[in-house]
Amino acid sequence: MRIPILKLHQYLLISIQVELDDQTALQFQEDLLNKIHNEGSLGVVIDLTSVDMIDSFIAKVLGDVVDMSSLMGAKVVLTGIQPAVAITLIDMGIKLDDVQTALDLEQGLTKLQQELEG
Amino acid sequence: MQPYIISLLNNQRDAVLEQWKKELELVRTNNYLTSISDDVYENMNQEFMRFIISQVTTEQEEAKGHLSSFAEKYIQAGWPLSYFTQGLQAFRRVLLAFLSESESDVQALLSTFSDLEEWIDGIINQLVHDYTGNWEDIIEMQKLSLLELSAPLIPVIEDVTVMPLIGTIDTARAKLIMENLLEGVIEHRSQVVLIDITGVPVVDTMVAHHIIQASEAVRLVGATCILVGIRPEIAQTIVNLGIDLSKFPTKSTLKKGIETALELTNKKMIDL
Repeated sequence: MRIPILKLHQYLLISIQVELDDQTALQFQEDLLNKIHNEGSLGVVIDLTSVDMIDSFIAKVLGDVVDMSSLMGAKVVLTGIQPAVAITLIDMGIKLDDVQTALDLEQGLTKLQQELEG
Repeated sequence: MQPYIISLLNNQRDAVLEQWKKELELVRTNNYLTSISDDVYENMNQEFMRFIISQVTTEQEEAKGHLSSFAEKYIQAGWPLSYFTQGLQAFRRVLLAFLSESESDVQALLSTFSDLEEWIDGIINQLVHDYTGNWEDIIEMQKLSLLELSAPLIPVIEDVTVMPLIGTIDTARAKLIMENLLEGVIEHRSQVVLIDITGVPVVDTMVAHHIIQASEAVRLVGATCILVGIRPEIAQTIVNLGIDLSKFPTKSTLKKGIETALELTNKKMIDL
């Protein structure tokens, strides 16, 4: 199972629509970094609207992906985190402190644009 | 019901009622019912006595139904339960006094008395049951309405939402606040949420912890949280307790919070 990564101008769009298992998440991490390398993208939006559950491992992978991407010069915004997911993450003590978030894809893109310009 | 009591009530009704009425007057002074006018109290006593006398002669099941509707009426009117319980206890005392006068055989007296006791206790139990049932309903309803009022979310302008909090915050309420906050942010598509704690009397470590958690969750779903309404004494407690609120913006009043929110959402207020 691979998660499709779409390219839009200088950004990469990822909408996660399946339950993430550990293998898929690691595969995704690898794919995304390769894609950033190949396309030279400046920004990444990961949309989590359809994700009902994030466990600590997935949260760690997501945090890592963000750190790795910014090492490669791409800013990452997580969008559409569901209330239930947010509550679980907070309850587990996972704060994703350095990660940018936005309400939905649209606002996520706006945020990226602002950051790249500013 | 023992025919003996019925006949006693029938033969000496006036004397019994006379005595009972005196006792009821005592009940009145003990129960702060003095504010009720004499007429109303007199009427009530008459009604109560008539009802109890009528209970003697009716069948048990039927009597139960009558009692329930009787109680219902006075629960609505707000008569205190103690009036009825003490009134019935008085009634029992009076009847016992009459019985012991007319009956000399101790054995017969005891059995009559235990019958009487059972009857009156039954009525008292039923009354207490009806009253407490009514109170439980009221408490349940108030709980529900309290829940509705405990975490309201108001969208003031586009992208900006306010949650005014009033009263103490406990863990259950904090959970509700967080859920409402997050659902509301999604529903109203807000970019900035202002949590107004002007009406929260005490902010201790627990409350602060809950607020911090809520604001972090809000950040995760993609909005910004501003804590407003921090009074001087609250600021003092927060610093004295060593709570770190530096991670998200705080403002002293809702007004200043709204100004910051407008800045964050690239909006401006202009005078026309």
